[in-house]
Amino acid sequence: MRLINQQLSPPVATALKFAPFALLVLAYLLGSAARLAENPNDKLLPALSSIAAAVDLMAFTPDRRTGDYLLWTDTWSSLKRLSAGLGISTGLALIIGIGVGIVPFLRALLVPFVNFVSMVPPLALLPILFISMGLGETSKIALIVIGVAPIMIRDLAQTVLALPREQIVKAETLSASSWLIALRVVLPQVMPRLLSSLRLQLGPAFLFLIAAEAISADSGLGYRIFLVRRYLSMDVIFPYVAWITFLAASADFAIDRLRRRLFPWSELEGGR
Amino acid sequence: MTALTLKNVWKEYGDQVVLENLSFDVAPRSFVALVGPSGCGKSTLLRLLLGQEKVTRGTILLDGAVLPQEPGPDRGVVYQKYSVFPHLTVLGNVMLGPELQSERIWGRLFGAARRNLKDAAQLMIAEVGLSGSEDKYPAQLSGGMQQRLALAQALMMKPRVLLLDEPFGALDPGIRTDIHQLMKRLWNELPMTVVMVTHDLREAFTLGTRVVALGRTRDRPEEAARYGASIAKDIEIWPPRKAGGDTIFQSEYALGWDDLTPHGAFAGRPDPSTET
Amino acid sequence: MTITRRLTLTTIAALGALSFAPTAWAQEKTDFKVAWSIYVGWMPWGYAADTGIVDKWADQYGISIEVTQFNDYVESINQYTAGGYDAVTLTNMDGLSIPSAGGVDTTAVIVGDFSDGNDAVFIKGAGALADIAGRDVNLVEFSVSHYLLARALDSVGLSERDVKVINTADPDMVGAFQTPDVTAMVTWNPMVAEIETLPDAVKVFDSSQISGEIIDLMVANTDVLADNPKFGQALAGIWYETAALMTADTEEGAAARAAMGAASGTDQAGFEAQMAATKLFADPAEAVAFTSSAELGATMDLVRAFLFDKGLLTPGATSQDAIGIALPDGTILGDTANVKFRFDTKYMQMAADGTL
Repeated sequence: MRLINQQLSPPVATALKFAPFALLVLAYLLGSAARLAENPNDKLLPALSSIAAAVDLMAFTPDRRTGDYLLWTDTWSSLKRLSAGLGISTGLALIIGIGVGIVPFLRALLVPFVNFVSMVPPLALLPILFISMGLGETSKIALIVIGVAPIMIRDLAQTVLALPREQIVKAETLSASSWLIALRVVLPQVMPRLLSSLRLQLGPAFLFLIAAEAISADSGLGYRIFLVRRYLSMDVIFPYVAWITFLAASADFAIDRLRRRLFPWSELEGGR
Repeated sequence: MTALTLKNVWKEYGDQVVLENLSFDVAPRSFVALVGPSGCGKSTLLRLLLGQEKVTRGTILLDGAVLPQEPGPDRGVVYQKYSVFPHLTVLGNVMLGPELQSERIWGRLFGAARRNLKDAAQLMIAEVGLSGSEDKYPAQLSGGMQQRLALAQALMMKPRVLLLDEPFGALDPGIRTDIHQLMKRLWNELPMTVVMVTHDLREAFTLGTRVVALGRTRDRPEEAARYGASIAKDIEIWPPRKAGGDTIFQSEYALGWDDLTPHGAFAGRPDPSTET
Repeated sequence: MTITRRLTLTTIAALGALSFAPTAWAQEKTDFKVAWSIYVGWMPWGYAADTGIVDKWADQYGISIEVTQFNDYVESINQYTAGGYDAVTLTNMDGLSIPSAGGVDTTAVIVGDFSDGNDAVFIKGAGALADIAGRDVNLVEFSVSHYLLARALDSVGLSERDVKVINTADPDMVGAFQTPDVTAMVTWNPMVAEIETLPDAVKVFDSSQISGEIIDLMVANTDVLADNPKFGQALAGIWYETAALMTADTEEGAAARAAMGAASGTDQAGFEAQMAATKLFADPAEAVAFTSSAELGATMDLVRAFLFDKGLLTPGATSQDAIGIALPDGTILGDTANVKFRFDTKYMQMAADGTL
């Protein structure tokens, strides 16, 4: 039988799903054991017990100096920056994307500029950002916005332009003004795409967040990772990376659920 | 008084002449079927009538006044597809036009105004045979039901002219027959003029009061770009069909003269459940 | 079935061991890897590699030495700690807190220089160190800058509780200092030289006031060194030949300084200014004297106290004695059963005696 026609029984399929994860954990445990046998203080691949101790220290023990629970204060700081950055980007994408998509004047004015800006490597602009906006929260949020918004704007403008021209004409024959077409025809139809685009940008947004926090901060997930990296404290870095992965995956899942709930028709369209 | 008047209308795209010196009048409440080979400019003419595109030379008058430069509520349209909004339910689609017209800021009605509109919309939905599907999204409807919905949505605006661009071209023959009945009835009952583009001659003769065939007078390849299409044939259906009042559709004697559909099928409402 | 399973397990074990196992350290070998990063006191390593001095000494001892430049100082130390390199350039403080705290027994082969003004505390507007109280201080947290700040605060009776530390990446220091919300900063050269030229920057403390406490070293893995003394000798030979060249008041010396300046992103004059803020040990006898002095022991005591206070001296450390530090005279600071950081004058002494 051809490979492409193989039928997997449910237990086999389940086993295959978990196999790569199990293999990764196993390889880690063996590598860790090998390194720890050579050097009991090895920090690169700490034993699970050291990782558990580090988790306990970061998440469930108040910090000696500040009395804070570091993992939670870090998470809170980072999520505030991330949600501000993504929120602003989403708003910009919505307004500029739809404007560019339906108004020829705005299209002529902004499309080349947005395309240009979306090609700028945002990390290279960091010094300018820091000097113009200071080292505080503004510049970190601005980095996320600069990194994420142009791509979301382009994506959304494309989506608007891809709407059948017939629909716009039809709306005109239903007496809609430009504003009402944007509000009642275009906006609801691009919202699902906007949410999908937001999901895709979660990864880059975390990247920019961590980069910004590595440069200057006093709390945050990226800050902590870069701080303890100085001491090769992989026992702290691994749980933080796992936590970030979990946060990103949860957000991804939640946004998709939100899309299905708010825009049930988008699921029907996709299934056609 | 005529509904539509075209005077020496030319349409060119760059060097390409598409329509050449078209002149004709469309009487109020007539049903004009535009036919012709592919690429002869039928759809271009329809877009000119919609106001979606501008004539290169000549004039188009609507009830004696120059046609507005952009689409508006006095001219409704139904396309072969993309005529309804996928993000709105059947009820939402039908209510959309009046909502947009009466509420210019948010495009939504609330309270009593909304209830009144909803009642009107439900009547219209019943009229096109979609009762019971009010809460469905277009993607959940069959092709024929979607076109019924598109008609209902357009007719809510009480357009003076209804423009149809091959509206039934993608439907299965049986379903098409049902929807032809509906179309005839709507045209008969509502005070509007219909212009329909079709490539199906039988459909043209079944529905139209007049069949206008567009065509190129010169077809040699080297001349194709320089000469556009003009009216090749203009046929008044005989005996004349008239909308409103007593029509052949209400007369027992005339039944089936030019329509092969049995009487029973169109005396009752078309049954949407037969469409898949 | 069991056989297959065992085979699979063995394969995975082999894969895991291959990908993660450290390079075999303790054995005689001929190929060595050295990591260095850009800093005035370490530029000689890059210059020596480029001009063939490294190969010359390696050939003399029948070994090969691969010298790799890292753009990221911390990464170079991490690579060394993880076993990817046999030797690395670092400061006395980072040597204790990273490889030694990570269980890698590390020996200082060459004491190359100490900072004599290369690290500095700046504040804006006001004129005295005590005015730093209550301000946000931008610095690379847990680096020698942090240590310098602790020592500076100590000198005016303040403590770290009187300021708020904001971790800031070293490449962005100069830019950061020009933003209005930054009012105090601790950093090192070449950033210090840049910041000094800014209009409202006031230098209120620098490393010349804690002379000899921030020391730049070439360290090597103790086990590698024990099995391969040739490696240590070659390192000493390379260092003193290059150091003599770069401090010489000759055309060759000027050319070397110009080359090192260019490699570190400045020019000959800029590089010489940085050298002026560095006490470079070009003379091995002087380095031996400094390393053997009682001051080194006192410095390491301050450093380990600082690291313990910051929780950096191994996670479970209950006192600053958790790690043993062996000094050249044989005394051991801290846990004698867990000596992980050693100062050894053997190779510098050989250079001084001309017996390399």
